[in-house]
Amino acid sequence: MSRPRILVVDDEPQILRALETNLRGAGYEVDTAATAEDALSTAAARRPEAVILDLLLPDGRGTDVCRELRTWSSVPVIVLSAVGEESEKVAALDAGADDYVTKPFGMDELLARLRAATRRGTPSGEPVLDVGEIRVGGRPVQLTPHEFDMLRLFAQNEGKLLTHRTILREVWGPAYQVESHYLHVYVSQLRRKLEPEPARPRYLLTEPGAGYRLVNPASRP
Amino acid sequence: MAALASAGAVALVTAAIAVARPYVPVLSLGVLYVFAVLPVAVAWGLAYAIPVSVASMLAFNFFFLPPTHTFALRDNENWFALAVYLVTAVVVSELAARARRRAVEAEQREREAALLAQASDALLRGTELAEELERLRAPLADVLGVLSARVELGPSHEHGYPLRVGTRGIGAVVVPDGREPDSAVRDRLFPALAALVAVAVDRDELQREALEAETLRRSDAAKTALLRAVSHDLRSPLTAIDAAASGLQSETLRLRDDDRRALLATIRVESARLARLVENLLDLSRLQAGAAQPRPELWPPEELIAQALDELAEANTRVVLELDDGVLPVRVDAAQIERVLVNLIENALKYSPPDAPVRVAVEGGDGEVRLHVIDGGPGIAPAERDRVFEPFHRAAGTGTRGAGLGLAIARGFAQANGGRVWAEPAERGAHLVVALPAEPRA
Repeated sequence: MSRPRILVVDDEPQILRALETNLRGAGYEVDTAATAEDALSTAAARRPEAVILDLLLPDGRGTDVCRELRTWSSVPVIVLSAVGEESEKVAALDAGADDYVTKPFGMDELLARLRAATRRGTPSGEPVLDVGEIRVGGRPVQLTPHEFDMLRLFAQNEGKLLTHRTILREVWGPAYQVESHYLHVYVSQLRRKLEPEPARPRYLLTEPGAGYRLVNPASRP
Repeated sequence: MAALASAGAVALVTAAIAVARPYVPVLSLGVLYVFAVLPVAVAWGLAYAIPVSVASMLAFNFFFLPPTHTFALRDNENWFALAVYLVTAVVVSELAARARRRAVEAEQREREAALLAQASDALLRGTELAEELERLRAPLADVLGVLSARVELGPSHEHGYPLRVGTRGIGAVVVPDGREPDSAVRDRLFPALAALVAVAVDRDELQREALEAETLRRSDAAKTALLRAVSHDLRSPLTAIDAAASGLQSETLRLRDDDRRALLATIRVESARLARLVENLLDLSRLQAGAAQPRPELWPPEELIAQALDELAEANTRVVLELDDGVLPVRVDAAQIERVLVNLIENALKYSPPDAPVRVAVEGGDGEVRLHVIDGGPGIAPAERDRVFEPFHRAAGTGTRGAGLGLAIARGFAQANGGRVWAEPAERGAHLVVALPAEPRA
């Protein structure tokens, strides 16, 4: 099996070099690009399996790269954002980015996101949901149809960021894409049924301004 | 004066009658005294007209009515004549006084109107309100008929005449000499004056608010720029360090020895960059606080350049030197001028292509030593030539690298040492110059 190929886009040479070295050590082939233009042409030429994309580039914004990329590719995109760039991060997610990490970040975090983003479909192994009766920690829970649909969506995308928009589209249908306040209420209800301590969620995490993520605490760094 | 003229008038008419007596019946001449009463009444009013009437009657009686040269009143004609004189005196005086009052009043209103016109012009011009009110003091006192008067602003006043618009207190007219201005004038003038001052106060307030908002907006924009620049410049090295360090620490990554060395080098390089940024920020705040006191010593310029190149370490291989042995030494703080040169050369290296040389030339003349730093980068647009020296300024279209502190610090230190830094117009690339005062040859 050939090594999966990753494209890293950042205008800081030292960040680029560190990521390249580490990703190579983690078993990836790595291409790098320092500009938006370079990023798009490299993505087209090398067909990477994931793109790690800085939001601020000398010749444009990562968001625009993302939007452009989405017109011909569904390659998973993880954006590198920073505190203070929240609105840019949300714009990038709206433009089709799959996930984000906030600078500065550790390699384990980035690699976990990368694994989640490149994983397609339901992970192998034990089914996460036993349809018919849902048990959390051995304790059966009653879910409404919407809660069930949400839980299924989260379980199928374990570890991945699900934006408000995605969850609304998948669970409620395309007509509800902008009404995220519904979502906060439903998620908090679901959390109350799933989490041992809903105020300190361990499984169903809020990504402020972006969406939600179901994680398996055992596999977290 | 008035009394003398009154007596003169009576004497004049008496003389005229004496002249006419041979030709006209004396009784019908008595009416001529009206010409004495009339002008006196017009000119000086009743107070003089009545004595003139009585004097006229007595003179007629004494000089012309038989028995002459006595005051004996023999018949009713005398009384009749006196009545005519008195009625004339009263009526004419009243008419004349009324006309005089009207004239005075018209003049007063004219002055009031002029004052209001002047006030509206002054108060609405948009200059300093307090100054304009000060300028209105003299005309106001004049119109009010007092020695001095002034307008004081503020909603409530214990003394003075309040200026109000509706229920809103605008201020007061204060008359320090204690005289009371005419109430009719006050009633006419003060509401109009109050309205004008109110408009001026409001306009002043709006102007101040607009100015404050603008000042706030500017300092806000500056803070935002600072925050963005500093957060980006702090975070980029931190991100590289964190990524490199966590890669080295990770047990799951399989890193070769040269990978490990590369990651360690990244940590070193980025730590140095962070240190430099912190140093730059400290330098800038020292310069802005005026705490960067130079300790001048005598230095040959090439020695300063050598120190700067040493500081730049391996990057200095791209620097091409054009020295001049005949250049005079300069009396400067070497560490500060080294910062100036390092920042200029670093900037030139950063903005020119990776393998392009950066020229550093030394030249003397006109009592100063000029150090030129010339690169092969995109150059500086004419409009940016001065703005590149502002802290946190980044030339448009150059991406996000650097906090925009280097040139600001360079200029600050050069000025602290009596020198200047500027961007020279150049065909291509950027051409920056540091000029330092030369030490005269002993």
